[in-house]
Amino acid sequence: MQLVELTKKAYEKLIWTWKPGSEKESGDAIVKNLLLHWFPNKVTKGSLSWSYSFYLGTISFVLFMILVGTGLVLMFLYVPSVERAYSSVKDIEYVVSFGWLLRAMHRIAAHLMVAIVFLHMVRVFLTGAYKNGGAVGSNRPLNWIIGLSLLVVTLLLSFTGYLLPWDQLAYWAITVGTNIAGSAPLVGESIRNFLLGGTTIDQNALIRFYVLHVFFLPLIVVFLFSWHMWRVRKDGGLAVVDREALNQKPESIAPVKSKTYSLLGITNGTTVHVQNRMIDEERNSVPSTPHLVRRVWLVTLITFLVVVALSFVFRAPLEAPANPSVTPNPAKAPWYFLWLQEIVTITTIQIGSFTVNGAFIGGILLPGLLMVLAIWWPYRDRSGIESVGVWFAPERRRQNWVFIGICLLIILFTIIGTFLRGPYWKFYWPWETWPTMPVKF
Amino acid sequence: MNHKTIEEKLEFVKKDKLFLSVSGILFLLVTAFGFYDYYTPEWRSYQSEFRDLVDEKFGPERAASIPAGLQQTYVPELNVADRCITCHQGAEWKGLENAPQPFRTHPTEILEKHPISKYGCTTCHGGQGYATEMQAAHGFVEHWEKPLLGKELGEFYVMSDKKALMQMNCNSCHRYDKQTKGADDINRAKQLVMEKGCRACHVINGRGGTVGPDLTFEGEKSPEQFNYERIKGFKSEFSWQVAHLKNPKELVPESVMPNFNFSSADAQALAMLVMSWKKANVPIDYIPGHNFRDIPTQEEKEKEERMLKGPGAFFVKKNCFVCHSVSTLGIEAAAQIGPDLALAVEDVQSRFGRTLDDFLARPTGTMEVVLSTMITLTEEERKEAIEKLRHAYELKQKELK
Repeated sequence: MQLVELTKKAYEKLIWTWKPGSEKESGDAIVKNLLLHWFPNKVTKGSLSWSYSFYLGTISFVLFMILVGTGLVLMFLYVPSVERAYSSVKDIEYVVSFGWLLRAMHRIAAHLMVAIVFLHMVRVFLTGAYKNGGAVGSNRPLNWIIGLSLLVVTLLLSFTGYLLPWDQLAYWAITVGTNIAGSAPLVGESIRNFLLGGTTIDQNALIRFYVLHVFFLPLIVVFLFSWHMWRVRKDGGLAVVDREALNQKPESIAPVKSKTYSLLGITNGTTVHVQNRMIDEERNSVPSTPHLVRRVWLVTLITFLVVVALSFVFRAPLEAPANPSVTPNPAKAPWYFLWLQEIVTITTIQIGSFTVNGAFIGGILLPGLLMVLAIWWPYRDRSGIESVGVWFAPERRRQNWVFIGICLLIILFTIIGTFLRGPYWKFYWPWETWPTMPVKF
Repeated sequence: MNHKTIEEKLEFVKKDKLFLSVSGILFLLVTAFGFYDYYTPEWRSYQSEFRDLVDEKFGPERAASIPAGLQQTYVPELNVADRCITCHQGAEWKGLENAPQPFRTHPTEILEKHPISKYGCTTCHGGQGYATEMQAAHGFVEHWEKPLLGKELGEFYVMSDKKALMQMNCNSCHRYDKQTKGADDINRAKQLVMEKGCRACHVINGRGGTVGPDLTFEGEKSPEQFNYERIKGFKSEFSWQVAHLKNPKELVPESVMPNFNFSSADAQALAMLVMSWKKANVPIDYIPGHNFRDIPTQEEKEKEERMLKGPGAFFVKKNCFVCHSVSTLGIEAAAQIGPDLALAVEDVQSRFGRTLDDFLARPTGTMEVVLSTMITLTEEERKEAIEKLRHAYELKQKELK
């Protein structure tokens, strides 16, 4: 008997370090729980709409979960050592059951995540969703900044993962990337040294990239993502809700019987409940469970399906083992940094015998300025509340065009860098064939 | 926002459920395809063919003893994990000498000294041991630089012995052998290296002249390190080496390497030899005789001694002997591309209409390039050279009388 008591006590000590002492405390415990409040109780139909959000945020999250799932299995199979990394990836490709699929899915999901997170940002901008609506305590510009940080961490996650296979593609992409980081004035060399754990890409760099890739950066994503979602709730849901509220004509409804908010008989006029924007009303909204839950499952399933299908079509490549003495031609950064590499090339100018190195302009200054601009933008955007949560609001036309212009330039440079730059970074039209590179035999 | 009725609200629910079902079914199909793909790899059909073959030839009992599933030879000493035997299951069987590939018995003689368990497959044959699909395993895929050195490649390069290319891998361990049994092309190439005196200009295995580049690890170079501008046809390191050996100046106009007029077969053999000179990470037990050094033969040693200590030592030290013999001083040219300097006094006069002293002070033509870049003579050295050449000429005159 005593043993049972003791076990019970031990269980409570270990598991229930805190127990609600009252009903209020129980309620608070639920309210404060992030996981239980991922979704609101009810969602408006506008929030559910496909054409407003395209569920890009949800897709990003699903892709992240696919990456975590496949990545956790890959961690059992991959060896982060210069001697073994390459052969362990070969083994994953050839002898591990479904290993090639895991790796292909991890790669496809990573590429898609970069693209989808970027598109999510574009969507938020074009719908003016970083602007505060009517909700009290709303701070959407902050959430926009959290989102930008998530974009940066997504890029870093993908970039750190790039080195791990330890093949030529990995080695030289990281060489290009870290050299660009090294071009920053004053601190550049230190940053490069810090990233690589030395002056060359070797075991130190590999283990650094590995630990960042599998632990610290995902941890930061989980933290930032939770904050991001929590802010969405605190900011009154998706920005489209503010739009819906604005569109709705105030109408009279009967006061809620169970509550006595009105100052009965003390003042004249209506009570606070008589005229209201009925956004939470049954006609305009549906319970999150099952409708939003079903939608999220649907998006999850489709995303998963697309990732698996693409993995069957595009097997993850593995080039020759990393060889510091042989530079592949052309040596390219990962595709999402190719717009920067392109700008680096354009801004590298030869004036007589003097060369202006574009690495600083294209690699540090320009992306840095764009980031500062993006952070500052919501504070500068003084458009009215009518522009919140609506695609291409007329009042925001000019800034939308500026933003689209910048995005198109980035996309254009990325396409040029990816598809039109051949050996020696020479420009080739799509109909021109690249010269064949020599082989051993 | 239109106020919708509950029925209208159900419309999107219906659609969602439909999409959910459709994507669920699609997902099932994709999963089924994944499993189908997993259970029907290429090697499985080879394994069942092999079982049928054994069943037919040796009876069901032996057929039942054949291991199923992926097979590999793991040799940690050589860092090799070869999955070739997954399909080549008959390699070590007796009685399948005439079976079709991939089931044929491996030639037994060579296996006695090189058992698969100790060497793996790719150590000798090349190819991609990691792979479990034929095309990839044979290494004829992008990003794999060590293809199977077999018949296909031999035919591609029009080799007289189609399987000769494999001998390159023999030379990873047999590098310091003078002759290796079974590696005829490599043996021929080693013979040529001696005959043509490649060491006069090139360091090979730590010994040799410095006129040309060190060739000790020539095989470590990557294909990108060669200039293919003047290569017609297929651009590979092997074709570069062959073309260069056949006519060095055609590929590298500034090269001073003489044209030895090698036949195609000789040039191919030499290309194989130089490309086999790699930093082989082989444990000492794999090296025949545990010999890690290229020991010169007695004949080579004597010749070197003779030339270095003889009256013509000056011409060896200054590398003149690379191109020129000085016959009366016991100097035998390595490449024999220049005239015998024993006749230089007379020769220079008749060819250039100038005295030897004058010519060496202000050389023209090839010698202008050689004496300004590769061999530089101080005032004293020039005097010494002229004196020695005069002496050689006198000896020659006596000889002729």
